[in-house]
Amino acid sequence: MKICVWGDELAAWIAAAQLASYGNDIIKAGSALAPAESAIRIEPGLMDRLEQGIIGGQIRSSEEEDPFSAEIHWLAIAPGELEAAGEIVAHLAAVHQGSLLVVNQSNLGTGASDQLQSRLDENKQQHVVYLPDMLQGGQAMRQFAHPEVMLVGCENDSAGTMFTALMRPFTREGTELRLMSRREAEFTKFAITGMLALRLGYINELAMLADHVGVDIETVRDGMSTDQRVGPYYLSPGCGFGGQHFTQYIEGLAGLLSKTRGSTLLETVLKQNEQHKELPFRKLWQHYQCDLHGRRIALWGLAFKPGVATVESAPSLRVVDALLAQGATIQLHDPEALEDFRFHYGDHPQLVYCAKPYEAVNGVDALLLLTAWPEYWSPNYTELHRLMREPVIVDGRNVYDPQLLHDLGFTYYGVGRASH
Amino acid sequence: MTPDSCWSDLRDAAQVLKSRHLSELLGDDNRFDALTFEHDGLLLDLSRQRLLPETLDQLVALADACQLKQKIDDLISGEPVNCTEGRAALHTALRTPAGKSLSVNGEDIIAGVQSTLAKMEALVATLHSGQWRGYSGEAIDTVVNIGVGGSDLGPLMTCRALSDFKPKAAQGIELHFVSSMDGSQLSGLLSRLNPATTLFVLSSKSFTTIDTLANAATARQWLVDASGLDSDVILRHHFIGITAQPEKAGEWGIPSQNQLLFWDWTGGRYSMWSAIGLPIAISIGMEGFRRLLAGAHSIDTHFHQAPLRENLPVLLALVGIWNINLLDIHAHAILPYDGRLAHLPAYLEQLEMESNGKSVRLDGSATEGHTCPVLWGEIGPNAQHAFYQLLHQGTESVMCDFIVPAKRYTDRGQELQQQHRLALANCLAQARVLALGDKALADDSADAAPPWKRYRGNQPSTVILLDELTPYALGQLIAMYEHKVYTQAVIWGINPFDQWGVELGKKMATAMLDELDNPDRSASLDSATRGLLLRINTLREQA
Repeated sequence: MKICVWGDELAAWIAAAQLASYGNDIIKAGSALAPAESAIRIEPGLMDRLEQGIIGGQIRSSEEEDPFSAEIHWLAIAPGELEAAGEIVAHLAAVHQGSLLVVNQSNLGTGASDQLQSRLDENKQQHVVYLPDMLQGGQAMRQFAHPEVMLVGCENDSAGTMFTALMRPFTREGTELRLMSRREAEFTKFAITGMLALRLGYINELAMLADHVGVDIETVRDGMSTDQRVGPYYLSPGCGFGGQHFTQYIEGLAGLLSKTRGSTLLETVLKQNEQHKELPFRKLWQHYQCDLHGRRIALWGLAFKPGVATVESAPSLRVVDALLAQGATIQLHDPEALEDFRFHYGDHPQLVYCAKPYEAVNGVDALLLLTAWPEYWSPNYTELHRLMREPVIVDGRNVYDPQLLHDLGFTYYGVGRASH
Repeated sequence: MTPDSCWSDLRDAAQVLKSRHLSELLGDDNRFDALTFEHDGLLLDLSRQRLLPETLDQLVALADACQLKQKIDDLISGEPVNCTEGRAALHTALRTPAGKSLSVNGEDIIAGVQSTLAKMEALVATLHSGQWRGYSGEAIDTVVNIGVGGSDLGPLMTCRALSDFKPKAAQGIELHFVSSMDGSQLSGLLSRLNPATTLFVLSSKSFTTIDTLANAATARQWLVDASGLDSDVILRHHFIGITAQPEKAGEWGIPSQNQLLFWDWTGGRYSMWSAIGLPIAISIGMEGFRRLLAGAHSIDTHFHQAPLRENLPVLLALVGIWNINLLDIHAHAILPYDGRLAHLPAYLEQLEMESNGKSVRLDGSATEGHTCPVLWGEIGPNAQHAFYQLLHQGTESVMCDFIVPAKRYTDRGQELQQQHRLALANCLAQARVLALGDKALADDSADAAPPWKRYRGNQPSTVILLDELTPYALGQLIAMYEHKVYTQAVIWGINPFDQWGVELGKKMATAMLDELDNPDRSASLDSATRGLLLRINTLREQA
């Protein structure tokens, strides 16, 4: 089948790579035939499969072939791009007189797929199917190829038949198919994401409490995960979640809840998350007795999560604003997001952009780790201690061992690890 | 003409006008045009006052004879008009825009004013951006103003009046005002506030005001206890001092970077335009605060330059002189028909009564007639259910100021606009009934009514009509009352800028504190105080 895949999300690249392996002809909308984000590029198995598809001619860019020539369209675009999705579908409706299948795997909110459907003509067998994006970074290829359960929002039998046929190579091992309305499927996705945000909000609240009662939240978290009802996922305490998509998506749900239900549950989580982003600043502020004027501070990690080059809604923005206002000088390092950060702040007399992590810690009064990039996990501690003016580490992601750092002569602050 | 001959003419005029009812005067169709005055959007309607246009001429002659023009010059140019304390009263300089200059004793005070405004602006920006940090590193989200009198009433009145003008950045900051020395406001507040995110603004011109320092000490201890930190860290991050006495503020512990200064030539009740206005700037933003100043400056210029016969503050003052000294009215009600002006009566009570509640002239002689009347007031529609009965059917003559904006809720729903129309209708109806009595009725049906249903009318009132209640319009309104007060003080020959009458009580209170602690020293007191002290101390010992 000829399928056009739209978007630069993880789900778009996984779909392109997997569908290409089974004889489909894939047109990847856009000129690039590789993901922009390194976090997607490091997805196990993805790049190899993409390369095979490109070499074999199953994957082509929309510069090589008209994307609107396909009769199946896979949308995995960013949240907030509903308008763009609408335009794509409207154009499809304009150029196609026959049947069309649009598989929407984007997080555009409840009712979005119905909106897209309204631009198509059902009488011509033009249908939208909604497939919630359940892929997790690190195992997305396997999850796509061997789903245990598949939730599908589909309201038309022939569209269901078409979609099932398309997915047959991946569902032969007895995948359970759960059919529901598009709206229900979208709401389910919404509900899952909200639940995850609540878990993060909860563990971060517990971490704050752990600081007060003198326990290590990491130990507590290990214990919590042993209960099957709780499980281990989305329980890592840290200095807040960021990223445009996740935040925007939760904001949408929080707004819906507060507007129609007067519920502040998710709003509270978002508000606490914003405050949590400043946690490393607050630890530092308290360490230096509420006076950071003239201090020199290193920041390791500016991106909102490892593997991305953007600082959208990242804790680093809040921390840097706070430090600048207090008159501190900041030495910044990030393996990928330094440029995006510089785009936000430009050249500033209190900001020093550093190409190497050890350059950033030279002569500083503290090191703040804000993003858990792999290269920060096992630094040369001797060198670090030698370079820093004051060996104070604020670990916003709990990647270091408190006892080890203590033994090496560092003053260590983690998130919810006051027992050390 | 001398003041005496003017007074004599006015007494003759009053003799005639006392016998004429307002219903008769209002029969003249040209009266509204003849007795209504406007400047820069502010309208002063004197047509319900018991006088004729020619009476205003006579009153202006009195003002001329009292050298009002010269006295206004003296005020604005920084002459020591506050003669009992030997200094100027330069609240007008506080709203003079940047770029001008005014040299007093060889110093350009406008430059000083502007530099304080700049420091305020920086401070407000830090707060609004969420970068003023408390001891935990969290952003300050609550500001508590501790001050009393002029350090409380002005900011409190204005913040309430302009609550619709909060910029988005200010909406995350909660403001509270604490004034009472007994701690009753503070104790309730402290149990609700988060110490880590609360900033206290201590406003005291002298930084010796016992009311304020008592509250401040309680607040400081609350923070020290909550944080476990030294008080110098707490003072650096949780206290701002606004004062004319930086040494005293420094002694109390306010570091200089947290001090905002004003000057001894700013009277307490004239100080909301100075750094004392910080809570206003926090609430409506620095831009809003500057619009407030601009409105006041517009009236300053008008007061300084307009002919007296068209001069709004002067006319407001002269009508007061007419009522007090010639019609023998000694009660003055302030009646805003807009709930946002709830604290305006209290503000004007201080402004007028503390300024002109005097009976000694500049030369030390006793004043001949009455000076400031008793002022009180309430939001008009609420007062209608409280003391309007006395206005309509009591035995006291009362002059009233109705204050109302023509437009409100223009960007809100029909229901709210309808509510404002209701307030407007009530304002106009009350002014009308006070003036006309039951002659306001179209027919003669009132004549047949029993005596207890009759309305005498003939209560004079002024209507002050604002286009809309904005920072600019409020600045105009308050400046108009300030200059009204000054004008009346000139006519009466008194000093409106001192308040020696409040000193003795303070001194006695300090002595009384000792008496409460060491009851046996009471022998020198009068028997009434001695009796009460004994009773109180007995009760305290039982506790």
